[in-house]
Amino acid sequence: MAGEALLAEMEALRDRVSGITDTALATRDGLLMKADTADVDPDNIAAMASAMLSVARTMAAEARRGSLQEATTRGSGGYIATYAVGATALLVVVGDTGLDLAQLYRESRATVENLRRLLGSTAGQASLAPAASLLAA
Amino acid sequence: MNAARRERSGTARTGQPVASTGYETVRRVLADCETKRSFGVVRVTGEPGGLIYLADGGVIAIETAGAPGADVVLLRSGRIRESEWTAAYAEAAAHGQLAAELTSRGLIGAAELEAVLRVALADAMFAVAGGLVEECALEQVAAHGSEDGQGPAGTGGEAPVLLPLSPPASPTWLLAETVRRLEVLARTPELVRHDRDRVTADPERPANTPLSRAQEELAGLANGRRTARDMAFVTGRGVYALSLELTRMNRAGLVAITSRRAIRPPADGTRKQAPAPKSQPAAEASQPPLPRRSNPGRQPRPGPAEIAPPPSSALHRLLKLFPAATDGDAEAGTGS
Repeated sequence: MAGEALLAEMEALRDRVSGITDTALATRDGLLMKADTADVDPDNIAAMASAMLSVARTMAAEARRGSLQEATTRGSGGYIATYAVGATALLVVVGDTGLDLAQLYRESRATVENLRRLLGSTAGQASLAPAASLLAA
Repeated sequence: MNAARRERSGTARTGQPVASTGYETVRRVLADCETKRSFGVVRVTGEPGGLIYLADGGVIAIETAGAPGADVVLLRSGRIRESEWTAAYAEAAAHGQLAAELTSRGLIGAAELEAVLRVALADAMFAVAGGLVEECALEQVAAHGSEDGQGPAGTGGEAPVLLPLSPPASPTWLLAETVRRLEVLARTPELVRHDRDRVTADPERPANTPLSRAQEELAGLANGRRTARDMAFVTGRGVYALSLELTRMNRAGLVAITSRRAIRPPADGTRKQAPAPKSQPAAEASQPPLPRRSNPGRQPRPGPAEIAPPPSSALHRLLKLFPAATDGDAEAGTGS
């Protein structure tokens, strides 16, 4: 069941990296697909992460800092990091103050790749149909 | 007891023996640094791993994802208000004088601050040396310019430590305390392990069981996703202390261990595999070896870690899904 496989990847990431409190997988335009959350509202997080990723990509290009790797917000209570997943999805990771962002980046590469593969994203594919079918999973 | 559901010895009910943690590796490196009166940073790679800052062979700070630092302890416990901290930080942090700024502003006494730093340091050493250690090496040796040993580590160019302990703590003392704690945990039955056991509060606990305010706070945080380490970062309390408190609450039926975080073994593969998910007993025998940390492009472990049931489930239904968490496991022992 594809939906369970997505969730399994997200939960495995939370297992591997100390400090992750919540993760959410969404379409690039902010529609929630899968949530492994407790204290945050996953729909709101997904929508905001979409906006953050979009602005961050534009910013990275504008400042000529290369391709976007990670959009990160740091608060006194912890972090929120957002990663692109292929061309059509994104992964948001929320963590506490003990989260090691460098470790998170390293450990999330395999997760992002596996999620991308599971979603069947291909470059330029804009259709929500495959992603939407997973909402029912 | 179904063999497929029996956890490998050493991972079930008590803490690990000292020998199966990273303690000896860390001890050896720090003893060497103490002898040589090193300045610099010891980088520990592992789970949780961390950075041990040294001045004149003594420890002035430890940064680790495994235990909250003094700043988190002071802020999350409410001892210092965030606005006051921010103001002091703005004034002083870039020059490594935050401790002096906090005390001169009357936000905390010097003796109390030193006590907080020392306690947080012991907790961090426990988390690092009591965890898994893959590599441990002195990474930077600063120029031997800090003769007074009072300045921040790494005065050869790296950023100063936020709140260095002054005078530095003896590694011997810190490690002796770590061993003491590990030995206590290795003898503690029904242990809630600080780095891997996730607990859920029992919604049906007996109404006449009085809880302290501290226990109420922990019960409120016990949502099946948090370990003692996670709760330490939320509350500003110590990881070791919370592990023992949650163990007491576990024994009293106030919380239960409802899932376990799978901890990656060190690169030499001498450690046994993490336990298989309880919901897939048949998979345990066929679980492939966990991948080496350093392999690029490796696949993550197959299968999810144990999935916590929804919080709304009654506890007895939760315990049916994880029978080994309740049975008096005959295999429970201290060997690994």
